[in-house]
Amino acid sequence: MTISDSSFAFVSDLARRETAMLYDPGKEYLVEARLLPLAREAGCTDVDAYVLRLQVDAAERAKALDALTINETSWFRDMAPYQAFTELMLPSIVARREHTRHISIWSAACSSGQEAYSLSMLLDEHLPPGWTAQILATDISHKMLARVEAGRYSQVEMNRGLPATSLVKYFSRAGSEWEVNDNLKKMVRTQHLNLSTSFPPLPTFDIVFIRNVLIYFDLDVKRDILRRVGQVISPDGFMLLGSSETTLDLDDHWDREAHGRVQVHRPVGYANVPAFSPQPTPESIAMTGA
Amino acid sequence: MTITVEPSYDDVQMLVDEVWTSFLGSEEPLLPGAPTDLAVGWSAAVTVSGEWHGMVSVELPTGLAEEVTRRMLMVEETLDEDVADAVGELVNMIGGNVKSLMPGPSVLSLPVVAAGRVARPSDSVEVCRLDASWAGTPLLVSVYVRKDA
Amino acid sequence: MYALIIDDSRAMRSILRRIVTDLGFETLEAADGQEALDHLNAGRIPTLCLIDWNMPVMDGYTFITNVRANSEWRDITLMMVTTESEHGQIVKALAAGAHEYVIKPFTPDAIADKLELLGLVAKAVPA
Ligand SMILES: C[S@@+](CC[C@H](N)C(=O)[O-])C[C@H]1O[C@@H](n2cnc3c(N)ncnc32)[C@H](O)[C@@H]1O
Repeated sequence: MTISDSSFAFVSDLARRETAMLYDPGKEYLVEARLLPLAREAGCTDVDAYVLRLQVDAAERAKALDALTINETSWFRDMAPYQAFTELMLPSIVARREHTRHISIWSAACSSGQEAYSLSMLLDEHLPPGWTAQILATDISHKMLARVEAGRYSQVEMNRGLPATSLVKYFSRAGSEWEVNDNLKKMVRTQHLNLSTSFPPLPTFDIVFIRNVLIYFDLDVKRDILRRVGQVISPDGFMLLGSSETTLDLDDHWDREAHGRVQVHRPVGYANVPAFSPQPTPESIAMTGA
Repeated sequence: MTITVEPSYDDVQMLVDEVWTSFLGSEEPLLPGAPTDLAVGWSAAVTVSGEWHGMVSVELPTGLAEEVTRRMLMVEETLDEDVADAVGELVNMIGGNVKSLMPGPSVLSLPVVAAGRVARPSDSVEVCRLDASWAGTPLLVSVYVRKDA
Repeated sequence: MYALIIDDSRAMRSILRRIVTDLGFETLEAADGQEALDHLNAGRIPTLCLIDWNMPVMDGYTFITNVRANSEWRDITLMMVTTESEHGQIVKALAAGAHEYVIKPFTPDAIADKLELLGLVAKAVPA
């Protein structure tokens, strides 16, 4: 039993409208695999019947969207970005924020939080004494945000890329799961945010990780998101994309700099930003971006 | 007097599910099932001793034990010694994780495997029982603790 | 590059063998810590050992202590792969000289991730 063309069209339309995620023809198997468990739970005979239900039931639509998003993530994913974080980004920002002694980081599309907590571990180890840091973890999925707040991970998730020394240092057992300690939790704040629509008011970020999410959007949406990230990043800040993502031909507001195996993106003109500059205002960003 | 502490059903269910999907694939989920009188073909048990004392057992019909073995060893034909080995490793993984749910430190025994049912100590009570089914076949995971004197 | 797989379960050795073979290792196997030491004493020195904790004859923890007591074997990377998952046990294994720790159950990705952390496999990252 496979999903009908019209059901698939409805679902891909819904996903595109609500999250900007693309489910192109050929992804029928994926939609079906993800919706079938929900269909069964809702007592529908098959996915097509469930899609009919979606057309009238908003709560069920929210559930379906949650199931359709891809939440794949891991600790220190791809490693190289995190090396660049400790070796390049953190020292550079620390050298330039003597006046505030505060670092502000955004984990955009944070999924279950491994990215945000990986960064918090590095901050715990490398941030100079007397400094503070805040990581804002955002996602479109409320379910994922709840997971970030709980900070609890299954055995299988723990095994994915987390060094054993960090496991014993930052986690304790909580039933069949492991829970991240309060020190790290204090650094991480969550907020619901849909990348494909205009952003709510946000602080200015020194470092933005926006990884493995742009791949799901079409070119115009990608461009628009990168432009809007440019408005909330400090002019001497850093942006990290996923290993298969790049700003190439996307947006000329960003420069690329190679560090080891990763491309680090920086607002154009970052080299001219004086050190110890006061916190930039939105106007000053618009000026450097011009 | 030892205090009888028992693992929660949800924790046991979650870790059994993780063992299952990690080694046997996620295309067939492990579903909670109604208690049945299953025809035990193979069973295995490990004991935990230390801060907490208990026994964890897994009971499987023959066909399921063989399927588990085929998937773990990636073989077509299974010998009895292969089945004993695979079922033993299954209970080792489940038992080790149940041990971590309980106050420690404790020591995990090597698995005991039997064609048929493994005997459980007469002074023990079942404190957690997970009836499940996989690909339409029932299986049973149980946790026992020593009865308080 | 050799990986020595030390586990009393043949099923588990077979799972691990498939995973590390895919990652470019040749493999040796041992059913307990003593058999593994016999390999080392015979001069078969692997790059990596994957070590179960609970085994007959000699357990994995004792094996690690033995390896760490011999300076000729200090280049061997030691990774526990075990169902032992108490916080204290992990600390103990790391203190004894284990470099990494994977808790059973695991997925093949988990082994690959850890070996990448250890610098033993390079992940193909698109440029
Ligand atoms: C593959 S995960 C990436 C997680 C993490 N950044 C990483 O690299 O491992 C993609 C995440 O993007 C989120 N997402 C999808 N569409 C989104 C949107 N329009 N706005 C915000 N988040 C979105 C999903 O909920 C999911 O958690």
